[in-house]
Amino acid sequence: MNNKKRKKYINRKRKEFAWGCLFILPTMTGLIILNIIPIFQTIYQSFFKTGAFGRGNIFVGLTNYKRLILDGAVWQALLNTIKYAIAEVPISIAIALVIAVLLNEKMQGRSIYRAIYFLPMVVAPAAVSMVWKWLFNTEFGLLNHLLESIGLKSVAWISNPAIAIYSIAAVGIWSVIGYNMVLFLAGLQEIPRDYYEAAQIDGANSVQQFFNITVPLISPTMFFVVVTRIIASMQIFDSIFMMIDTSSPALKKTQSLVYLFYRYAFVENNKGYGSAIVTLLLGVIMIITIFQMVIQKKWVHYN
Amino acid sequence: MKMKKVLAAILGATMTLSLAACSSGTSESETSSSDDSKSKGTKLTVAIWDSNQEAGLKEIMNDFTESTGVKVDIQVTPWRDYWTMLEAATQGGEMPDVFWMHSDQISSYAQYDDILLNLSDKIENSDKIDLANYPENLVSIYQNEKGDQLAVPKDIDTCAVWYNKKMFDEAGIEYPTVDWTWDDFREIAKKLTNPEKNQYGTAIKPGSYQESWYSTIYAYGGEVISEDKKKSGFDNPKTIEAMQLIENVIKDGSMPEYSVVAENNTEELMMAGTVAMTFQGSWMIPDLASSDFIKENCDIAPLPKGPNGTKSISNGLGWAASAQGDHTEEAWQLIEYLGSKEAQQKQAELGVTMAAYEGVSDAWKNSHPEFNMQAYLDMLNDAQAYPSSKNTQVWYQVLMERMVDSFSGAKPMDQVCKDFAAEMNQFLAEEQ
Repeated sequence: MNNKKRKKYINRKRKEFAWGCLFILPTMTGLIILNIIPIFQTIYQSFFKTGAFGRGNIFVGLTNYKRLILDGAVWQALLNTIKYAIAEVPISIAIALVIAVLLNEKMQGRSIYRAIYFLPMVVAPAAVSMVWKWLFNTEFGLLNHLLESIGLKSVAWISNPAIAIYSIAAVGIWSVIGYNMVLFLAGLQEIPRDYYEAAQIDGANSVQQFFNITVPLISPTMFFVVVTRIIASMQIFDSIFMMIDTSSPALKKTQSLVYLFYRYAFVENNKGYGSAIVTLLLGVIMIITIFQMVIQKKWVHYN
Repeated sequence: MKMKKVLAAILGATMTLSLAACSSGTSESETSSSDDSKSKGTKLTVAIWDSNQEAGLKEIMNDFTESTGVKVDIQVTPWRDYWTMLEAATQGGEMPDVFWMHSDQISSYAQYDDILLNLSDKIENSDKIDLANYPENLVSIYQNEKGDQLAVPKDIDTCAVWYNKKMFDEAGIEYPTVDWTWDDFREIAKKLTNPEKNQYGTAIKPGSYQESWYSTIYAYGGEVISEDKKKSGFDNPKTIEAMQLIENVIKDGSMPEYSVVAENNTEELMMAGTVAMTFQGSWMIPDLASSDFIKENCDIAPLPKGPNGTKSISNGLGWAASAQGDHTEEAWQLIEYLGSKEAQQKQAELGVTMAAYEGVSDAWKNSHPEFNMQAYLDMLNDAQAYPSSKNTQVWYQVLMERMVDSFSGAKPMDQVCKDFAAEMNQFLAEEQ
């Protein structure tokens, strides 16, 4: 009797396993062909001096990396990218969390507000960049027009090398708040109402409830958002490419690693050096992510 | 419940439709073939990047299809993606049959014999195409090192100065004549500048090299790159002299603050009434002619003269064919037709660009009689080929970086030029 049951159990498990594989096959195929293999191809290409049209590739070993280490523009770009990530990630997460908490209450028009905050994610990045580029325009832009109308001096938002990267970060924050908010809303639904009711009975006000209940219990979601947002923000390219002209005095202090990669790989046809730059980015992001994984035990509360 | 299912079905259908419509922005148009008995059933793919020219080119290619029965399918890929598309197609063996070629990229494509179709023999045997009918500099740009002709010139462009007549009148200055010099330009720009009214004489940015300061360099007898493409021209004292004139115009205060110049296109500053004189290529005519402000206030003058006369950088696109294609014979027929006098004339009449075929550009001039388009045609006599090398982008990208330093006033121009010349020489050495 027991043997028959065990066999049925094993067969069912095998069938489930087979069906499981079938279901994830499309995604895995896509991931392997479009993401994983190209990663290894890119790293492979970084050891070559590539010719046009994939011909004439010459193996040069570490030459591209030696050039990379000595290239001031690459390290400045890394700094720019880090500045962007430090500006975008904490601020967008903080704002999104507060908005998510507010929009978790039952109120009239709650769905409409949620939709409005999510809208920036739906608009094409190129369109967003074009509009913001005009808003930031030193001479003709709306922002400076408003500043001057109340008597303040106009600011060179995207031409001043010191602040251009932060202007770009402002656009990034604006567009990603909606995405973070949706994730936090999902995380907030998981928190049982009982905790809040108990805290209210004990006399805690909303701020105290926020810091003592909400923040610790949303830490799993927070961890996910922080990790994915850091990875995404380190890859910033679109807005810089669209908003900063090659004649701009701010370019050197704003171009990101992916921007440099695009320039070398696609504009100058030097895919070998471009691959080296992108491999550097991969390494930096990997180190940051591993670090985050290691310290998650310290601050993330799983049930 | 039924309502939900219906809604779900509609939503699913809409999503699928929008996925299909969401293709990457390439658009296609086909020519029609009226006579099926002549049709050999071949269809050529033609790749271009300027959607402004698509309608006119389609008309011209319809004439071709009517006479030969070969159908043509024009595909527009915007400039930014065009070369990425073409390179991927070349690597993948799926090149379009006929496509536009640009002087920036010709060296890259010409270095291998099996990418661009060698047209030399076909041109020899053709009675419609005679290379003597095109400007020499255009013909030679599209040859490889062995002298094989790899593209037939399609059009030609030159540069000129657009000036705001009203601002000239208000300052009591006479309009520029054919003999005006770069020093005159500097003086006039100073006189036209009035920071209180937010008006400036001119605006020149590093990015407008083709229209403005490249031409200045040649007008002073300098060069951007040596004739043999092995040495940089930026340490040539005459080049430095030319660039210092531009630097002086900036130091005079005749241009708006650099951030304003960098963030806006020069024609935008002109259309806003901020700047009195700007440099524009002949390809900008459709854009400028559609502005009411420009129509009311502006006209065209030739480029100023330098010690070496007046020079305009002149460039032109070429029609090239894929050597890997299945229909190289028909592709050649199409190119032969597009380069012929009748097709070139029609192209000029449609007012989009000046024709490469010499002598038919009068039709282009008449497309906008309110402007002095003759200035552009006159510049053809003083044309200077667009400077390029095998890997133009490599030194060009660095050139832009360095020029930002000098145009913004951060570093002196002569130092920037000399330092860049050393860098450019290194890049050129690597090309050999």
